[in-house]
Amino acid sequence: MDFKLASVDSIIIYFGDEISQDVASKVKTAYSCLQDINLDGIIEIIPSYSSIFITYDIFKYDYDSIVSKLKKSINLEKTIEGEEKIVTIDVYYGTEVGLDLEDMSTKTKLSIDEIIEIHSSKLYDVYAIGFLPGFAYMASVDERIAMPRLSSPRKQIPKNSVSIADTQTAVYPQASPGGWNIIGRTALELFDKKLDSLSPLSVGNKVKFNPISKEEFLKQGGEL
Amino acid sequence: MSLDIINSPIFATIQDKGRFSYTSIGVTNSGVMDEYAYLVANKMLENDLESNIIEIAFSNVHFEAKTNTTIAITGAKCEFYINDVLKPTWQTFNIRAGDLIKVGKILEGTRVYLAVKGGFDINKEFGSNSTTLKEKLGGLDGDRLKKSQSLPCKSFIQTHNKRLKEQFIPKYEDRLELRVILSYQDEYFPKEQIDKFFSSTYEVTNEFNRMGCKLKGEKISCDINGIISEGISFGAIQIPSDGQPIILLKDRQTIGGYPKIGSVLPIDCFKLAQAKPSCKITFKPIEINEAQAKQKEFYSSFA
Repeated sequence: MDFKLASVDSIIIYFGDEISQDVASKVKTAYSCLQDINLDGIIEIIPSYSSIFITYDIFKYDYDSIVSKLKKSINLEKTIEGEEKIVTIDVYYGTEVGLDLEDMSTKTKLSIDEIIEIHSSKLYDVYAIGFLPGFAYMASVDERIAMPRLSSPRKQIPKNSVSIADTQTAVYPQASPGGWNIIGRTALELFDKKLDSLSPLSVGNKVKFNPISKEEFLKQGGEL
Repeated sequence: MSLDIINSPIFATIQDKGRFSYTSIGVTNSGVMDEYAYLVANKMLENDLESNIIEIAFSNVHFEAKTNTTIAITGAKCEFYINDVLKPTWQTFNIRAGDLIKVGKILEGTRVYLAVKGGFDINKEFGSNSTTLKEKLGGLDGDRLKKSQSLPCKSFIQTHNKRLKEQFIPKYEDRLELRVILSYQDEYFPKEQIDKFFSSTYEVTNEFNRMGCKLKGEKISCDINGIISEGISFGAIQIPSDGQPIILLKDRQTIGGYPKIGSVLPIDCFKLAQAKPSCKITFKPIEINEAQAKQKEFYSSFA
């Protein structure tokens, strides 16, 4: 763990300098310690791929005291209790919503069915959430279907689009400009004001994409 | 009982201290850009200091009062009228039902704040009334204020109107010195680049909104092009590959992958919030302990 000053009331802890499962699991453990301890005077905690950013109340801690408090609170040897949370995201992978499926099929020399099979057969880790509320960066996509971002981003990616950029996959929780390759669409709200947590996902969760038919997608409230 | 908007404001939003503890899922803090003007307004009204307020950018908002109440007006110097009579700002006024309140042309600074006794009676979303358009959260409907909307408030008359002493009213000049804590990726900036950063004069550009403020001036270069996306503080200074600093403000994205040389002291960001394009900016380093003392002094003065 490497502690670094971020601003007058925030610090950042680094757990490594690469995007990897090993580093992500350290972030996940440390994040879990911080949530369990629920320290008074902590205002924000933002876990990401290789770091945790923390904002604190400067009327309660100075820089040295927050660092020593956090060092005592984080135990990277801790085993996270209970089952890992696996969130299933049902996806309709039709070409009418998977706008880049045909193009990807040409580039990868895989059939659309093979692309769907490869994308939906893996369990992904949520490494970071940001860019848009509820936009979860998940990895790692199988190299066979890893795709660079579009050379010219779309002005409007439809809400709930399931997408790939390099070895990462994500769902656009709202319509937005963006350059990721679109392979399908879900009816699941990833930013949902009805949830206390605002999103069904949090950093450290695992995600499974489950292919569903167009009929099922529409039945779930999906929109074409 | 309400204040009703009777024209089409260009960009006025409901704000408060901000929305906290949802950054982990990508929801920004939001909140007032200029906390000094905000806190003074609430203090003069003897409000809870976290009460909501209207933040008015680009001038021109007209209200009709539908109740008796007391308002406070602070922030940018503007042509401010009650029933077409020009009034000074940084003070409170008793308003009668039927009064017309006009925030007209902005003369110095860029953001005017209008608060009402007891705050506007609007349900909070996730702990805050702060409006972020991108997230469609806060305010009346997650959007800027629009013509014909009513902002509910309590009926009230304050017996003694208050006025801020002249020496506490900020002067919004065309030159600002911002104090910076070197932090984040500072060690990836060669010493001569850090020296250049602190000895150059930058200019505020038109790319200035609630998310951030892009500057132009001497190009700063860094040993690395990008970093693994990580949490971004209020006031963080990103240096993208064009070398032109961007100071991230209240509606900033929660994570990002540009190298950051440091963070501007929040109390100086409140001054930046009132700066106009072409305002000259210089930076000065400050150590963490002194910076925390300055921040605490600022907030303690309102306690």
